[in-house]
Amino acid sequence: MADVTAWQRTSPLAALFYLGKVYQAIARNAFQSLAPLAAFVVAYKGDPLQSLLVGGGLFVAVTFVLAFLNYWFFRYRILEHSILIRQGVLKKKQLDIKFDRVQALSTEQNVVYRFFNLLTVTFDTAGSSGQEGYLPAVRPEVSTALAACIRRTSAAAGAEVGRTQKPEPLVRLDIGDMVRIGLSSGRVFLLLLLLGPLGEYVSEKYGERLEETAVIETLGAIQIGFAAGIAFAAVVAFVVVLVLAGVSITAALLRYHRFELFADDEVLRSTGGLLTRHENSVHRTKVQSLHVTQNVMLRFFGRFRLGARQASSGKASAGYSFVVPLCRREELTKLSDEFFPREFAGLALDPRSPSFMHISPWYLRSRILLAGVLPAAGSLLLLWRTEGAVALLALLWIPLAALGVLQVYRRYGFMCRKDGMAFRSGFTGFRVVAWLHRKVQRVTVTQSPFQRRKHLATVRLHLAAGPAVKIPFLEYDTAAALRDYVLWRVESSQRAWH
Amino acid sequence: MFENSEIALDELPGAESLAWRPLDSRYVPRLQIDALITTAVIAVIVLAVQYAPLPIDIRWRSWVPWLLLPAFGLSLVLWPLLSVPRKAYALRDKDLFYRSGVLWQSVTAVPFNRVQHVETSSTPLDRLFGHAALQVFTAGGSGGDLKISGLPADVAEKLRLFILEKAGADLEHG
Repeated sequence: MADVTAWQRTSPLAALFYLGKVYQAIARNAFQSLAPLAAFVVAYKGDPLQSLLVGGGLFVAVTFVLAFLNYWFFRYRILEHSILIRQGVLKKKQLDIKFDRVQALSTEQNVVYRFFNLLTVTFDTAGSSGQEGYLPAVRPEVSTALAACIRRTSAAAGAEVGRTQKPEPLVRLDIGDMVRIGLSSGRVFLLLLLLGPLGEYVSEKYGERLEETAVIETLGAIQIGFAAGIAFAAVVAFVVVLVLAGVSITAALLRYHRFELFADDEVLRSTGGLLTRHENSVHRTKVQSLHVTQNVMLRFFGRFRLGARQASSGKASAGYSFVVPLCRREELTKLSDEFFPREFAGLALDPRSPSFMHISPWYLRSRILLAGVLPAAGSLLLLWRTEGAVALLALLWIPLAALGVLQVYRRYGFMCRKDGMAFRSGFTGFRVVAWLHRKVQRVTVTQSPFQRRKHLATVRLHLAAGPAVKIPFLEYDTAAALRDYVLWRVESSQRAWH
Repeated sequence: MFENSEIALDELPGAESLAWRPLDSRYVPRLQIDALITTAVIAVIVLAVQYAPLPIDIRWRSWVPWLLLPAFGLSLVLWPLLSVPRKAYALRDKDLFYRSGVLWQSVTAVPFNRVQHVETSSTPLDRLFGHAALQVFTAGGSGGDLKISGLPADVAEKLRLFILEKAGADLEHG
């Protein structure tokens, strides 16, 4: 193995990684560059194809040079307790990432890197809102050495060491699970939403030309009955849904093919991916909260999605640092014990658990008034003069809103145990977030004028990851007791929160 | 070994009988001056818009802002009379409480052993009144997690040092 303690260069193939980053940055900031580009195209007097070729060639050349320069100026050095990274072309930057601050170490291997046996290693640290450091195109030995350094640092901080053999996976997903992930993914609906306006644009732009084509003329000549028309529409809809489901299942295959989750000393590690192989790892001690979601499709399949959030001192990140895309009910308990060993007793991640307690029923009155009665009364007043009695139809909104509020109320539930809490919410599906009291950063108890009259309060528990957990409409005494108990647990805890 | 002993909630240190400390009494006039400055700036902007050569004619309803502006300015000037007495903080051995809000009233508690860093800041107007703002940061939040404005500058500095000392002690012992 090469001496990794000296200053090292990555493989020249790291330029590919930077090329990807440059294009990602361009894609992210494309909106800003669209206006000057459009102005240039409009103002240009010459041959647009020629200008496109020259411009495109220049653009590609510049991005390649940029990517190469980024590779050229990148150096790293692994020390006993940290890794030093020097990078930057014009603006030089030196990162000193302490191993004890590393929350997770992830590796990624795309098709090209797999061919050359290279990896991209990324570090998540508590001091960043996202991934802080990365080593593109390095040998797997570097990743192994880094993992060993991080494990050694954790061991010095009290964790156990001693993994010698590959453990049995806690979760293993098969091809059937890929179908379940694909079908339960929100991407299907997102694609439908995107296809709607696109279809409208295409029909507007090319509709007239299409109508002139022989195929459409032939189709137009065929007299189809009403039932046949309905059947045709149904077939088209079915094909669209089938295609979208296919796209979503393919995406699941690409990201999670042969997904496995291992418990490895103090680290949980997952691997998966068809073309690009991803390996993510997370220190159990760094996990701040667990999130279980179950949408309608997952309910149909009897499966759950589990996410773990780690600390970030930047903006409250909505994403999860670590995801188990699919697991069974019986695996939930096993996994929660893996993430929060010995401290999760009595807490349930299963949204169907009878241990969840309801919030105050005054929530119903408050929200029906706000979301139902007020908008309906406002619409009635606005429409009465112009529409007359028809405006009374606005009142139909009240029972609809009441049904929605009732559904949300039934989903709300919380449970508090000696070491932690869980909170359930949702509308069509379920969402459960669970955390340990000692991980809480601060507590806020809020009362609206209505809540003060009814002796109620809303509790917000701020964790080091993600937005605050808001438990609405608790009895004030319960809210105050919860705040005092959590504070006592935080202040008397001898264990670190991170 | 697994333990599951019962917790007597009544014996826990409660936050119901806290000795709340109010903000500096001169914080009300300080906020009222702020309100007057804000109103004056808006008035200048309205004047500039009314006399600027704009492509659309908005002069026909030029009286509307002059009707709304005094009402807006007055509400801004009067609001501190209601909001400042509601704001108060309480210091315990292991945490800091802050109370605020007129309609939506909230009480925030920050345990010292979760404090990442503490900051004091003051604007020129703050310095004129001898005030400073104390910001307490915990992990995961964006911006100041707890901000107490309108403290006498020396009190803010004392609080900063006290919290830092407490947070440091917890780091050493925890």
